[in-house]
Amino acid sequence: MRIGALFLGLFRLLVYTFLLAPLVIVVLASLNAGNFLTFPPQGLSLRWFWTFLENDVFIDAIVYSSILAAGATAVSLVIGTMAALYFVRHAKREAEIVRIGVLLPLILPEILTAIALLFFFYEIGIGTEYKIALFTGHVLMTLPFVFLNVTTSLQGRDDSIELAARTLGASRYTAFRRITLPLIAPGMATGGVFAFIISFDTFGISFILKGSGSAPLPIQLYDYLRFNFTPEAAAVSTVSIILTLVLVTLADLLFSRNSKA
Amino acid sequence: MRRFRASLLILPAAALIFLFIVLPYVTVLVMSFRAPGANGEPYGPGFGLQGYAQFFDEGYYLWSLPQSLLLGIVTTFVCLVLAYPIALHIAGARRRWRGLLYGIVLSPLLIGIVIRSYGWTILLGNSGVINSTLRDLGLIQRPLPLMYNDFGVVLALSHVFLPFMVLPLLSALQSMDPAVKQAARSLGARPFTIFRRVTFPVSMPGVQTGCILVFVLAISSYVTPALVGGMRVKTTTLLVVDALIDQFQWPFGSAMALILAVSAGVIVLIFARLTAMKWN
Amino acid sequence: MTEVSLRSLVKRYGKTEALKGISLNVRHGEFVSLLGPSGCGKSTTLKCIAGFEETSDGQILFDDRDISRKLPEDRDIGMVFQSYALFPHMTVAQNLAFGLEMRRLQKREITERVGRAMEMVQLTPYAERYPKALSGGQQQRVALARALVIEPKILLLDEPLANLDAKLRDEMRGFIRDLQKRVGITTIYVTHDQGEAMTMSDRVVVMFDGEIAQAAAPEDVYDKPASERVARFVGNANILELPVRTNDEAGVELGLPGGLSLTIQRPVPAANGTLGVMARPEQIALTDPAAGHLRGRISKRYFSGGHVEYHVETDLGPLVVLAPTSQSAKEGESVGLDFDASRLWPLPGRTGSAESRA
Ligand SMILES: Nc1ncnc2c1ncn2[C@@H]1O[C@H](COP(=O)(O)OP(=O)(O)OP(=O)(O)O)[C@@H](O)[C@H]1O
Ligand SMILES: [Mg+2]
Repeated sequence: MRIGALFLGLFRLLVYTFLLAPLVIVVLASLNAGNFLTFPPQGLSLRWFWTFLENDVFIDAIVYSSILAAGATAVSLVIGTMAALYFVRHAKREAEIVRIGVLLPLILPEILTAIALLFFFYEIGIGTEYKIALFTGHVLMTLPFVFLNVTTSLQGRDDSIELAARTLGASRYTAFRRITLPLIAPGMATGGVFAFIISFDTFGISFILKGSGSAPLPIQLYDYLRFNFTPEAAAVSTVSIILTLVLVTLADLLFSRNSKA
Repeated sequence: MRRFRASLLILPAAALIFLFIVLPYVTVLVMSFRAPGANGEPYGPGFGLQGYAQFFDEGYYLWSLPQSLLLGIVTTFVCLVLAYPIALHIAGARRRWRGLLYGIVLSPLLIGIVIRSYGWTILLGNSGVINSTLRDLGLIQRPLPLMYNDFGVVLALSHVFLPFMVLPLLSALQSMDPAVKQAARSLGARPFTIFRRVTFPVSMPGVQTGCILVFVLAISSYVTPALVGGMRVKTTTLLVVDALIDQFQWPFGSAMALILAVSAGVIVLIFARLTAMKWN
Repeated sequence: MTEVSLRSLVKRYGKTEALKGISLNVRHGEFVSLLGPSGCGKSTTLKCIAGFEETSDGQILFDDRDISRKLPEDRDIGMVFQSYALFPHMTVAQNLAFGLEMRRLQKREITERVGRAMEMVQLTPYAERYPKALSGGQQQRVALARALVIEPKILLLDEPLANLDAKLRDEMRGFIRDLQKRVGITTIYVTHDQGEAMTMSDRVVVMFDGEIAQAAAPEDVYDKPASERVARFVGNANILELPVRTNDEAGVELGLPGGLSLTIQRPVPAANGTLGVMARPEQIALTDPAAGHLRGRISKRYFSGGHVEYHVETDLGPLVVLAPTSQSAKEGESVGLDFDASRLWPLPGRTGSAESRA
């Protein structure tokens, strides 16, 4: 029995290591002073971070990805929150259809969705021009995350609190602003952060729909990685990982302050 | 009036999904029945079954299908085996630890798929971390073939999709009444029997969801097989993208995508039938 | 013969002491209720007996053998949980068979015993149903049958009726009680509903703050509470603080306002100065304002079907009186109160005298 427990504990430790290993290794690789991604590293240095800072391609890609992610998140937040409110408050028999419908972009294979969008936008004569297809794709990919988080924050709370506010003299609008909004704010914050990160990292959609001109970060990274083996890509990845961590921590702080209130 | 006003809430999402998911998928279906194009056109005038015919005629394409499906099944199984102890651990962990463990499990999800796959190439490559370490220790002479083969792809895919297995399992385990396990104990069941006869069957809905999710994601993933497999592991998804983007053969690519989707659907259905739960 | 014996049982969670030294003997076939307010340690006691919690100190004996270190699966207990804890993926019959399978019985015997158990709780028509398709009361009976079918030494129930509606709860009370008598199994029953404890048990154990305040027959807990706190927790209690006039072998004479007196014809050791006595609301009768031991004015009147509850302002403070509906008085009316001196109960805690536990 005790041996079984020991074995199980060891196995778990291995899995946790397995989960973290590729991330840790990317960060370590970015500190390599050598010219190639060799192991063990030839000394520690930040030189690849400086190289990265002077490389307009990656800087542009990060800026481009951030703008794209911010835009997609903003649109998803509005549409996804409305859908979540409808799902929790008003949907009756159609509830399951609504849920599956909104989650479709998450359930369907991303690459297939990307291809479908590509054809569709070609059919209607826009193609990959003006980044419309790309933006639409990003909104689709982020929508489920907003929906899921806002739904969770509303779950288990029926609309009696809003009705209570109305009986106390609040208008429909005031009840929403003073009661509902504070309730779903943490869900929106988490959903928003998730959406931003997903958009920032999503590959299939960007790969197929990017069109000509500048491309989002994962695409630039991918192109670079196919032909280069310097630690610069690791430095870029590390920056991206740090950005994500900062965002998640911010959201966590925001969230825990909100839930304490 | 109230109903009408409420339905305005769902309108944008419904329009978005209908316009940009439902219609595009219909477009793919239509595209797969179009005639192939000539002179660099993606597709030609008129309709035909040439797209499907090409897939079944050429063994190169046809064989990729069972291989991709098998890859997906193996990945799903590996994920299940790795994820279950973790889900059990988190479900039973003290509150203080739970957040941290949860974070570790979610971490791959929050870091882009390109970076994760890249991390695996650093680990698994011929002069990568694992091979160099083993060589320096004198355990091997020539590097082990860890990458550019099915092994590396399955390993990397399992990592990439592990969170999608852990999360449904966790939610199934957490929604389980803890008294159920105690009841089994009071009736004389030992820990392993409780797991086999109670915990695992009761968590079956989570197992089902997790397996279906991972399987679908795995067979349709592109980046991981491309980077870790180095284009040497030819999955159907890679061939689809190749046909569509590089060869510009839209009807053929669409037909191939649909064949993959339908095969995956059949496997999912068989799996769901086999694991059907009358009690749920 | 003692079936279960708790000896100075202590349970600590970190710094908090959930059980502060519980001692209790449960006889073979006895039905004992643990009664007390929320958080007093009832469930903890039960979990210790079942083995789901390790005890911090003290012993638990089954048949005079210490089993404190045995695993729950080896203790041979039947347990019914508040949430029923039915196995959702097994039918009623499979749920009942589980414990027998763990005991590696023959298939034929399992089928037979499961059949009998289902008959016992009138669930035979539902054998192939899954728990989800059963009503609360039916689930409750499955849980009961599942615990009993293994013929355990002891049956433990933790607030099994808390999730049922009032009517079903009353039905199940009788059902569980009858079944327990028929099977003759030693039973420990946790509840915070005093009515439940009173009607079902051979003995009621009242607990406060991780300690046993009183362990006695329901009648005794009601009529002869060990302390003011027990008196107030079990039913409604009027507590009067009265001066002691005389105290000898014949009894105690207590003074009342207006020169009247009350005599308890029973010696109360060391009662001098004042004595606290308890009178239950139905032990006080309404009389003419001129008659009775005490005068008062009715401040509130509540009709409750079979009885009327009066709140009466007196010189000794507010008292509650329960009178039959045939005898009616209005709010604001002056009345006399007549005490049944033979049933007045002197409260030990109120005199500083030695304990007189029932
Ligand atoms: N796992 C635990 N960790 C820390 N304290 C606990 C734990 N379980 C119980 N307690 C504490 O022990 C005390 C007794 O708890 P117990 O559950 O036995 O109460 P109870 O009498 O069953 O109450 P209720 O009627 O509410 O079920 C409580 O103060 C409770 O807070
Ligand atoms: Mg309790």
